Amino acid sequence: MKDVKEHNAEKMLKDYSPRVLIVDDEKGLRIGTQRLLEMEGYYVETAENGTQGIDMGTKNDFDLAVIDLKMPDIDGLQVLSEIKNVRPNTVCLIATAYASYDTAIESTRLGAYGYIPKPFTPDELLYNLQKAYAQRLLILESEQLKKEREANLLELANERSRLSTIINLIGDGVLVINKQGEVVYRNNSVFHNLNIVEAKDNKELLSKLPDKIIDLINNYLGSDELIKKSYSTQIEIIQNELFIEAITSPVPNPDGSLAGVAVVIRNITELKKIELIKNQFVSMVAHELKTPVAAVLGFLKIIIDKNLKISEDQQNDFVSRSIVRLRSLLDLVNDLLDISRMELKTKQREIVTLDIKEIIKSTVELLEIEAQKRSISFSLVMEESVPVIKADHNEITRLFTNILSNAVKYNKEEGSISIITGSNENYLIVKVIDTGIGLKEEDKEKLFQEFYRVKNEHTRGISGTGLGLTIVKQIVDSYHGKIEVESQYGKGTTFTIYLPINNNN
Amino acid sequence: MQHSDKIKTILLVDDDIDLLEQNKLLMESKGFNVVTAESGKEGFEVFNKIKPDVAIIDLIMEEYDSGFVLCHRIKKTEHGKKIPVFILTSATYDTGFKFSSETKEEREWIKCDGILHKPVVVDELISKLENYFDE
Repeated sequence: MKDVKEHNAEKMLKDYSPRVLIVDDEKGLRIGTQRLLEMEGYYVETAENGTQGIDMGTKNDFDLAVIDLKMPDIDGLQVLSEIKNVRPNTVCLIATAYASYDTAIESTRLGAYGYIPKPFTPDELLYNLQKAYAQRLLILESEQLKKEREANLLELANERSRLSTIINLIGDGVLVINKQGEVVYRNNSVFHNLNIVEAKDNKELLSKLPDKIIDLINNYLGSDELIKKSYSTQIEIIQNELFIEAITSPVPNPDGSLAGVAVVIRNITELKKIELIKNQFVSMVAHELKTPVAAVLGFLKIIIDKNLKISEDQQNDFVSRSIVRLRSLLDLVNDLLDISRMELKTKQREIVTLDIKEIIKSTVELLEIEAQKRSISFSLVMEESVPVIKADHNEITRLFTNILSNAVKYNKEEGSISIITGSNENYLIVKVIDTGIGLKEEDKEKLFQEFYRVKNEHTRGISGTGLGLTIVKQIVDSYHGKIEVESQYGKGTTFTIYLPINNNN
Repeated sequence: MQHSDKIKTILLVDDDIDLLEQNKLLMESKGFNVVTAESGKEGFEVFNKIKPDVAIIDLIMEEYDSGFVLCHRIKKTEHGKKIPVFILTSATYDTGFKFSSETKEEREWIKCDGILHKPVVVDELISKLENYFDE
């Protein structure tokens, strides 16, 4: 019999004792069977009648059950039916001397795996149990597989809904076109990014796509060979308001042929706006750099032109004026470098505790010579204890140098400049009040713009880069401070600078 | 000017006094009579007083378009319609300011008769003027 034993079941018996329930009213048979099976490595429990059999067989998950058909209390088929009802995976065998074709069919219908005619030899019993146990293993295995498959399906469904949620949430439009040129997938961003208000179906959506995108898609669909490259194009959807970049990529089948085309539609409006600002700035810088170069070039050409015969005095005048222009060009380049460093935040800062009074005093000293030439006087009104701020010494010095040198440059003869320090809970406050030429309302608004310089009959001959106050604003902003301007045209200007107090100290 | 014995008077308007003086000197050396102004506002006053034969106006003065504004104002006057007016600028396609006077339509729109680029080459200016008077 050994040769027909199920290999798998035999192996299992070595490290696991299959649990068998014997339901039989014959005591001798129960004990004999139990002894035999236990010797063969089974774990055996017995029930002496149908009632007990049902009780034990439903309460416990037996691997196998051998049920006698004829019992005094309950019929074996009834026991089979009850056990199968609760424990469908318990493999049941019916044992009886009263075998008939009908009962065999009925027991199979009720879920019996097989039928052992009584009396049986030990080998017959073992052979049948072995087969039944192999069946039990198959059932358990398929049960396990079924559970895994259900779990996988659930996982897949979750994954799909997760993916679709993610694709719908991203700001880039995603559009998939099949080989037939039909839209098979699109997320909501496609509509936003292309400014398509409504499309009742995917066909209408296709008709509303920009021509440039259609052209890119047709590149792939119209080609006999698979194009592996991605293409991109930039499109202005709404003039000056909505720019997009569309990137098309092929979607290949596993065999390498073309399945369709994926299009990603990205909103690049902000990038375009920054690009425009950058270009405008570069244009302004180029213009500001060209002007002094042209002036110096002009003077030099005149000086070396023998036909012009200019006097020596005039020559010297032109050389001095060239030097002034070159100096201002150098100032401009330095200012530009400062602005660019500050914007890139690459400037090395050394944040230290600063004595603001000291900085103001030394700045005033530097400017005093220039001020005295035009009889301009300084007056300093400073609190005894000025709150401490923490900042980079060079930057704060630069801030006050720019503000105070403007106060000198744009002042009147015999004018004055008052510097008053104060504070509130959060800020150190410095007021710089001049009695200069003042600002018109329209100039005040543009004061901090790059290269903006007030031009009128009073400002003629005053040199500057147009970047001084831009730098001041940048420094103040970088410390989360603020700057205010009050001015009366013809009377003077007051700048109020607020720098946050370092409360930790 | 070969075709005319009369000395032409040029109005030069530029807020950069260095460039203004250089161009004045160079043009005078070629036999022009040159009057100058340092702003759009002053330029219009001088124009009305002197009634020059040519006006050459810097584009960017008080404002980025001061030259255009002065050009329009001059071209509205009776005398302005008769004389060539040139815009002088270092702002070109390279520096990102997109305008030109290549076509008649553009000149009509800008209202000027040509654009001169800084630094101005006096010989180039003279050939432009000759072209203008020959037409």
